[in-house]
Amino acid sequence: MTTTDIPDGDDALAGEYVLHLLDLGEREQFEERLRDEVSLRDLVYQWEAHFAAMSDEIDAVTPPVAVKNAILAKIAPPQKKSPGLRGWLIGLTVAAAIAVLAVGTLLRGPEELTPSFQAEMSTPEGTVFLVAEVIPATHEIVIDRVLGEAPEGRVLQLWLIAEGADAPVSLGLLQPEGETRIRVPDDIAPGVRTGTIAISDEPPGGSPTGQPTGQVLATGTFVDL
Amino acid sequence: MNTLVDIEEMIARTGLRDRSAFSDLYDATSGKLFGVCLRVLNNRSEAEEVLQEVYIRIWHKADSYAVTGHSPMTWLITVARNLAIDRLRRRTAPTRDIETVFDLADDQPGPEDAAIASSQRAQLNACLGELEPESADAVKRAYLWGDTYKDLAARHGVPLNTMRTWLRRSLQKLRECLTR
Repeated sequence: MTTTDIPDGDDALAGEYVLHLLDLGEREQFEERLRDEVSLRDLVYQWEAHFAAMSDEIDAVTPPVAVKNAILAKIAPPQKKSPGLRGWLIGLTVAAAIAVLAVGTLLRGPEELTPSFQAEMSTPEGTVFLVAEVIPATHEIVIDRVLGEAPEGRVLQLWLIAEGADAPVSLGLLQPEGETRIRVPDDIAPGVRTGTIAISDEPPGGSPTGQPTGQVLATGTFVDL
Repeated sequence: MNTLVDIEEMIARTGLRDRSAFSDLYDATSGKLFGVCLRVLNNRSEAEEVLQEVYIRIWHKADSYAVTGHSPMTWLITVARNLAIDRLRRRTAPTRDIETVFDLADDQPGPEDAAIASSQRAQLNACLGELEPESADAVKRAYLWGDTYKDLAARHGVPLNTMRTWLRRSLQKLRECLTR
């Protein structure tokens, strides 16, 4: 091994870049050049493709289910940050007509109308994934269906099993897609935070018996936001 | 069994914000990418965190996949490796744990195991074979384990600058062979 004959071509430099061997300063310089130089980008892509063949010797390892759930939660469509804001604006619009209602809404303020606890519900295989958020000020549960749908000809029904309760209480049916808002009756609301919520599939119109009749697809418990 | 065409389709649909395609893509490829993260980080909880970053990145960047001209697994593996090495470089103190990654490997080969064309693999192996064994080892260490010049210099017992000169020359040779 000698230190003569130092190759300083872009070929090797791009290879070093792809291997992450450049130090921070060199790396930044290189990336600066990458923005403008198409041929340099091509070199990078070529090295990436060549080197990727080495990954064949790496065995697949199944990651824990929690990782997928965390990812799905992060890519969930953005919740309206203060879901009450829309109502608040409508409140403003109709303020002249219904002063009392508008004042009530204004007094509450949007910050109180943000969700303060959240539950994730998923099937073990990750085929259905929902995020439920609770806005205590309005006793609302906002359920966002990130993934999955009801089986053909069925609907999804949301249940609350309050802590210590022996039977679930129906909270209502989910919309066929997207977001569903459900107002929890005042007498049940205090039990939501510590209870378990569940989703079952039911015939159209919901369970005829008041108890889940179909398969319980997913359950979840709440954590503070 | 997912073919490369299936995976390419999943990436394309992910680029269109199709969550169900993204979920399928995760199911089909997360084992391999988790393996890549574990190899570089050799720490399970860090690898899990990075795997999350990897798929969030894939979700946001799926529409730019085609620009690279990569095969789908090359692109996914490159994203995973880059983020894993970024994490490795950010470590302030070495936290490598002793847990050996190899015991964790799935018994069942995943659908993606044969994802890199065997011709590509054969070409790379042949060209690595033309290098001195120490050089081929250094290239592999840098790619698969994320070794730095400092790591490599210590491993081979040579000064850092020597290591760098040596590796750059090896890359040059490798490149000549690969484009032959």
